[in-house]
Amino acid sequence: MATSTVEPDYRQGERCRLAKVMRHFVLILILGLGAWALWPREDAKAGSSEATREGSASRKYTIRMAPGLYMPGRRPMNLGQPLQGLYKVRDEFEKVFPDTHIEFTEVPVSSREYLVTQLAAEQAPDILNVNVEDVWQDIQKGWYVPLDDYLTQPNPFIPQGKPGSKEWWDQFKYQSITRGLGAPDGKMYCVTLDMIETGIFYNKDIFKRLGLQLPKDWTEFMEIHRKLKSAGVTPLLANTSDMADWGMDLIFDQLYNEILPGLDLAKDPKREVYLDGYLDWDELSFLFRQGYFTKRDPRFVSVFRELKTWRQYFQKNMNSDLTKLFVTQKAAMWWTSSYAVNRMVRDPDVKFDWGVFYLPAMTKQHNRFADGHDQVVIGGPATQLEVTNSAYNDTDDPKTSVKLKRTIAFLQFMCTPENTHRVVNEVLALLPNIIGAEPRPELAPFHEFLQRKYTTTKWLYTFDLRFNEIYRRMLDLYLNDGIPEGEFMEWMETNLKTATDTVVRRKQLDLSPLEAKWKELAPIRSKMTDLAGVN
Amino acid sequence: MYAMLTPTFTLLAVFSLVPFLWAFWTSFFDYEVGGESRFVGFANYVEYLTDPTLVSSFVNLGFLTAFGLLTVTTAPLIIAKLIFSLRSERARYLYRVLFLIPIVVPGVAGLMIWQGMIYGDTGFLNELLRLVGREDLTRGWLSDPQTVIWAIVFIGFPFAGGINILIYYAGLAGIAESIHEASELDGARGIRKFIRIDVPLVMSQMKLLVIMTVIGTVQGFEGMFILTKGGPGLKTMVPGLWMYMNAFSFQRMGYACAIGVILFLIILGLTILNMKYFRSSEDLTAENA
Repeated sequence: MATSTVEPDYRQGERCRLAKVMRHFVLILILGLGAWALWPREDAKAGSSEATREGSASRKYTIRMAPGLYMPGRRPMNLGQPLQGLYKVRDEFEKVFPDTHIEFTEVPVSSREYLVTQLAAEQAPDILNVNVEDVWQDIQKGWYVPLDDYLTQPNPFIPQGKPGSKEWWDQFKYQSITRGLGAPDGKMYCVTLDMIETGIFYNKDIFKRLGLQLPKDWTEFMEIHRKLKSAGVTPLLANTSDMADWGMDLIFDQLYNEILPGLDLAKDPKREVYLDGYLDWDELSFLFRQGYFTKRDPRFVSVFRELKTWRQYFQKNMNSDLTKLFVTQKAAMWWTSSYAVNRMVRDPDVKFDWGVFYLPAMTKQHNRFADGHDQVVIGGPATQLEVTNSAYNDTDDPKTSVKLKRTIAFLQFMCTPENTHRVVNEVLALLPNIIGAEPRPELAPFHEFLQRKYTTTKWLYTFDLRFNEIYRRMLDLYLNDGIPEGEFMEWMETNLKTATDTVVRRKQLDLSPLEAKWKELAPIRSKMTDLAGVN
Repeated sequence: MYAMLTPTFTLLAVFSLVPFLWAFWTSFFDYEVGGESRFVGFANYVEYLTDPTLVSSFVNLGFLTAFGLLTVTTAPLIIAKLIFSLRSERARYLYRVLFLIPIVVPGVAGLMIWQGMIYGDTGFLNELLRLVGREDLTRGWLSDPQTVIWAIVFIGFPFAGGINILIYYAGLAGIAESIHEASELDGARGIRKFIRIDVPLVMSQMKLLVIMTVIGTVQGFEGMFILTKGGPGLKTMVPGLWMYMNAFSFQRMGYACAIGVILFLIILGLTILNMKYFRSSEDLTAENA
């Protein structure tokens, strides 16, 4: 007779019950973990405090603002305490205007996709913070409110006799850069609350150890790179997008400055006062048709050769976390902006002495097209606040809209020195652009950099986004040995042809006045050498 | 019966057919979001033929599709066969579950894991190279023009997609026991039996996976969007990503719709080719009958 190994019934029942309990336990555990993961964090609670504020729902006008970096309740770069500056400004504003509620919203304003869909549907926040050059792409669509009429009126929150009591315009500290943001249609679409500037952050300890001095010109600058590299230190941290933006513009300015008097074809009566010699899209389009900015233009080719030469001293991977590399002393220099000061000052992991200097000038000794003039400002306006078409959706008419008046009033209220100080200086990153609101001492070097002349042009902010996309991609490829110089220049030329044709068509540009000016400047150009397609 | 189908068909029409027809119509316009639209006929299609991304993106797409087909027709089938060959039913069940578990990881999270943990500066690959003393070979795998496309296609290695394994497993389980016995009597064993008997009889599953892979690769761009944005340069650009950028970044809706219509035609063509020339076991049975 075979022996049975079948378990007794009572034991099977016990195992079933145990399995049932285990199943319930696992499910409850999963639910508990899910609830814990979804529970709002402390700073998120702080950020949403306005939603529960008393009486906010009963107010007649609600103005939505996307403040970007200054989003209250948030901790920029996860350092320091949650921001409170804008809450304080809002609370005081709402006391003055009890019918108005200010709501702060965090939106992906850097995302073009978001903006386009929201603006087209008139659903965008009433006040946005985006680079105004992006706004210029869409000014013909009526998505943004021109602010000129308000800027030429007094700021009602400024006492008599103070800057701004006659014209709001007078409040802005960096006048030329601020006024220079006028759109090519002659109108101003933004209020510039603060400034940003680039600089080379350097590790003083490494410089001292290797006996390096700050460079006086580009030749010395390159020599420092060579010494650092031969000492086994990564000389510089920079990313491709900054090379396409700042790098291109600065070196372009260095190599074209000498011939600029023969190329500056348009003197915008408003903007040229502030932006001496700035080349707008119509001038660039016209000059391209004359053979400039092509492979037949030796200066243009030289701009990219300079970038390529420089690239060999950067970190190997262009997608690396540059902040981490610099903080952990993996590199001696870092080309970034004043935005990084917040991290450098507040991060406990920064255990070395550091400083900042501006890029030095290129001399003829280094490049025959350079004339040795100081490098220009490439940063400039940071928080650029625009008013969108949503701001007058109470009447659908900007002339009669009370909500629009309140929106403008809030911007004016923010521009008082006290309020700008509260908001801008709470983060150690940007420099207040309002007279009377002084920058933090740690940002003093950037204030000095901003006294320089403004850049000759901004390639990434002149044409359409398709141009930018292809230009950035191809420069990235060229700098990383993905394509040879000849192929890259072909790409640039084709891309510029499409971009210039598009801008002329879309903006209905009349290039004939430039043609006349071009002829007028011919005697000046005849004395110049190395012009496009001539020498 | 028709009344019961009406709600489904209505929803399908509203959310799938109407947008498709609208996109087809829009492809004949120069239409910018928020701007005025202008009828341009076939200009968007003609422009796409001279688009600077056209050649690169289709070459990339071809490579990705070919690699995708290679992996979907091999790795999951081999794994399914290995699992199916296990004697213990409990072990077979366990392995099926184990291979299925990774599908609970969201696709985006999976991509981020590969981006950071495998291809990152201090990711697995670079650290491994450092460990064996080949620091000189470390690189940004997703930013180096020489390695990026290979880095992309190897995401998902060893390509043991749980659902794909299950589909093949179901096919293998559907093969009649008499066929196995007959083939063994005829001397077919091991790899030979797998190639001569199993593979032809799971052809209908393979056909399904081939169609799904082709459609997914031609339509898909989210991997590229998250990992490389199609770069560096155009090294990982695909038509779907360029269509998305034109629609939502450059606001060229008409042009993006034209790219969409072209992609639709390509998928349709490839599906018809697949249906016509890729014969499944059912087709073979029908032919022999």
